[in-house]
Amino acid sequence: MEKEYIGEFEELVLLLIVMLEEEAYGLAIRNALKEQADRTVTIGAVHGTVNRLEKKGFIQSRLGGATELRGGRRKRLFTITAYGKKVLQKSHDVKVNLWNQIPELALNQI
Amino acid sequence: MKHQHRIPPKSAERFLNWFCKDELLEEILGDLHEYYDELSGQPRWKISLLYWFHVLNFIRPFAIRNFTSTNTNHYTMYRNYLKISWRNLSKEKMYASIKIGGTALSIAACLLIALFIQDELSFDKHVPNGNRIYRLIWVFNNNGDIEKDVFFQAPFANAILEEFPEIEQVGRYNAGELFGAGSKEIRRAGEKQNILEKGFVYSDQSLIDLLQIPMVYGERSQALAEPNSIVLSESKAQKYFPNENPIGKTLILDNDVETPFTIGGVIKDFPTTSHLQYDFLMTMTNREFWPGEQTFWRASNYPTYLKLHQDADPVALSEKMKKITNKYLLPAQIEAGAIDAEENAKNTSYELQAINDIHLYSQDIFDELKHGDIRIVWLFGIIAGFILLIACINFINLSTAKSANRAKEVGLRKVVGSYRISLVQQFMTESVLYSSIAFVLGVFLAVLLLPYFNIIVDKTLVFPWTAWWFASVTILGSIAIGLVSGIYPSIYLSAFQPIEVLKGRLTRGSKSSYLRSTLVVFQFATSIVLIIGTIIIFKQMNFILNTKIGFEKDQVILLKGTNTLGDKIATFKDALLQLSEVKSVSVSDYLPISDTKRNGNAFWREGKAQEDKPIYGQIWRVDHAYIETMGMRIVAGRDFQSDIASDSQAVIINQKMVEEFGFENPLDKRVTNSGAVWNVIGVVENFHFESLKEDIRPLCMVIGNSPSIVAVKINTNNMREFIGTINGIWDDFLPNQPMRYTFLDEDYASMYADVTRTGNIFSSFAILAIVVACMGLLALSAFMIEQRNKEISIHKVLGASIRNILVLLTKDFLSLVLLAFVFAIPIAWYVMDQWLQDFSYKIAMEWWVFALAGCVAFLIANLTIGYQAIRAALMNPVHSLRSE
Repeated sequence: MEKEYIGEFEELVLLLIVMLEEEAYGLAIRNALKEQADRTVTIGAVHGTVNRLEKKGFIQSRLGGATELRGGRRKRLFTITAYGKKVLQKSHDVKVNLWNQIPELALNQI
Repeated sequence: MKHQHRIPPKSAERFLNWFCKDELLEEILGDLHEYYDELSGQPRWKISLLYWFHVLNFIRPFAIRNFTSTNTNHYTMYRNYLKISWRNLSKEKMYASIKIGGTALSIAACLLIALFIQDELSFDKHVPNGNRIYRLIWVFNNNGDIEKDVFFQAPFANAILEEFPEIEQVGRYNAGELFGAGSKEIRRAGEKQNILEKGFVYSDQSLIDLLQIPMVYGERSQALAEPNSIVLSESKAQKYFPNENPIGKTLILDNDVETPFTIGGVIKDFPTTSHLQYDFLMTMTNREFWPGEQTFWRASNYPTYLKLHQDADPVALSEKMKKITNKYLLPAQIEAGAIDAEENAKNTSYELQAINDIHLYSQDIFDELKHGDIRIVWLFGIIAGFILLIACINFINLSTAKSANRAKEVGLRKVVGSYRISLVQQFMTESVLYSSIAFVLGVFLAVLLLPYFNIIVDKTLVFPWTAWWFASVTILGSIAIGLVSGIYPSIYLSAFQPIEVLKGRLTRGSKSSYLRSTLVVFQFATSIVLIIGTIIIFKQMNFILNTKIGFEKDQVILLKGTNTLGDKIATFKDALLQLSEVKSVSVSDYLPISDTKRNGNAFWREGKAQEDKPIYGQIWRVDHAYIETMGMRIVAGRDFQSDIASDSQAVIINQKMVEEFGFENPLDKRVTNSGAVWNVIGVVENFHFESLKEDIRPLCMVIGNSPSIVAVKINTNNMREFIGTINGIWDDFLPNQPMRYTFLDEDYASMYADVTRTGNIFSSFAILAIVVACMGLLALSAFMIEQRNKEISIHKVLGASIRNILVLLTKDFLSLVLLAFVFAIPIAWYVMDQWLQDFSYKIAMEWWVFALAGCVAFLIANLTIGYQAIRAALMNPVHSLRSE
């Protein structure tokens, strides 16, 4: 299988989708980004990213959960795919692996 | 939380709606709405701003809808409409060409008229600060007759400048030929050959400042500052001083070597849309035409312009100018002993005419300039509107008449699911296609016709290809005409019930016959009015050229510029008289045609100057051979005789003057113009010396010297050879000045060039209207005959003669033309009566003119229908009947 890279912001969004579980939709992701990572982005940026993630096959979506607050419109709710999980896991492993190889001393010297 | 805060800005949503992909819209709008809700509590403007910010942030590749792909359906449909339109067009070539041709013709006419109107309206718009520049108008109430002119006394301009602080600048010119303006022989200093140039005028330095005339060479503020300086137009500078800066160079005018003129500047040529058209401006600095002239309050020769300060009220100012009358004019009059001075002063008032109004609103103002006429602009505009209307009518007419052929198509389209709006769209597309083709053809036609049009309206119009408005007007115009003339047919055609038309039950196009008849009547009424107008104008012109005008204008040659002969003029005259063809020779600048010398004088009976009211008239300085050469008739007394020495004190007066003086027996009466006293020795029959638009005024002739024009009465059949002969004589006398000659009869005819022009305009429009109306009639009759094919065949089978069938087919249309005729008569009568009011000497409107116009229209209509009708009548009935 061809290798899919995942960007830093994409990874963040992907992690948040996993975290938010049933409530992972555009605005919720944006708010979570603010709370968890202290990053303020536009709603458009979030939508753009999830759109890209879905195209890459990392997540899948369905419509649902209309509320009056939204003017009766449904949300697009995202869940991670198996492939997405794999990519996320791999990215995590690479980093952990790298962290493990760095002697604590070397890091402290910086 | 207030409820109203929870509705996000509608416009932002609409915008998003427009650019965003449909499938993403719901989730995005939902998120935004929720976000908006979260913001509540903050200032309203901030919320809106943030909301907009986020909406705009969605302009990203992933969210933007694909604009090209969504419209493909419309695109295909329009392509289909165009294809069907094109097929229809090529199937019905005759109808299509009439539709397009008629519209193209009308569009060409309208374009030309639009160019004309645009040009007329743009007069003097180029003058900077034109909204503050005015021309002074002298208004005199002559027993209820309001007389207006523009000629003011020399010191008037400075008097008002001193008196009224709201005036910023004043400027005058003087174009009087009496003072040497008009035409002059001109040459560069150091050269010998004289060339005659027109367009000389005396002007104040301040006039070119006031009008801010653009300069090519020299300083504007210094151009006419020096005495004897002259300013040339760019084209004349180029003629006499090609490719050099002529400032400081000198010109010799009328052989006057003593006082050469120094060039102080070169101005850009006056644009064609300027009411002033001069090429040589001679300075007024230090110039006086007689001692004390510049401070003389009893001669009015100067058109005067003024520039007001910002916010000055021109009406209020003109009221205040009464003060000038009382301060200067009245004392001057009283001093001169005029008995009606007080009354004259009371009847005098002033107006300020905005410079932009001069060209179009000066009909009642005497100013010796060439003008347009706002009535003509309106007339042209209305004619253009009518022409366009007729073309649209034809268009509508033909489209609905052909409806039967489209009914099945409409029915079928509806059956397979077409909406009515799509059908309307289809027919609109079709009509826009037609009108676009017509527009292209029309523009092409207009370009071809422009030179001819320029001749008849006496202008030099060019197509404004590069002007931005031209392209937009053309494109918008073609769409607008397509839409306007497409509305009715498309609504009419799209209303067909599919079940009816597919069954074949359609009242084949006859439903709107009432409308069509009205349209035919309208078109023909217009045409008949124009035909009548043309006939009457040409009759009047013919009347002018052939009426008894009181002098013989044939076989008279006028040699001009003979003043340079000086003393040799008598010898020159003798040399001409040696020729066998020459019957008589006269030297006088006063001729009964326009553009020759005129003057105004007051006359009294001898000794009554202080008591009687004066009679105003002309004094013409002539020589002994004048009356003979002009072929005028002496009705009482005798002509001047060179062997009677006392004739230098003698005068010959015209019948009008006899009448005004009330002389029972005019001979040996003595008249005076407060200077000289003359003895009346003869009475000359009234002759027209102004345009026939005016009455003959009092006139008298005395022996005097006015040597610029030599009139030669001849009798020859070989004019060319004769001209050669006198040219030879001329060259012996004046080798440095080419001979210039005109013929009296041609000069006379050219006085009425505007009448000829009006006639040409009318006849062109009449032809156009007839052609367009006939096109409509042709197509309609062809259609009607096609519809009634079976009827005709049955008539024939049952024994109808060809004549019966012809009557059957033509009588409907011809009765419409008859009706049109009835409508046209009063309109034409009224309009032409108005036009003839301009002439003091005019033809009567005779009934046969109307009858003739009616017959012409009738005949043309008959011919148009006739061909088709005869073809139908001669057809073998079997062909149309066997199909059922």
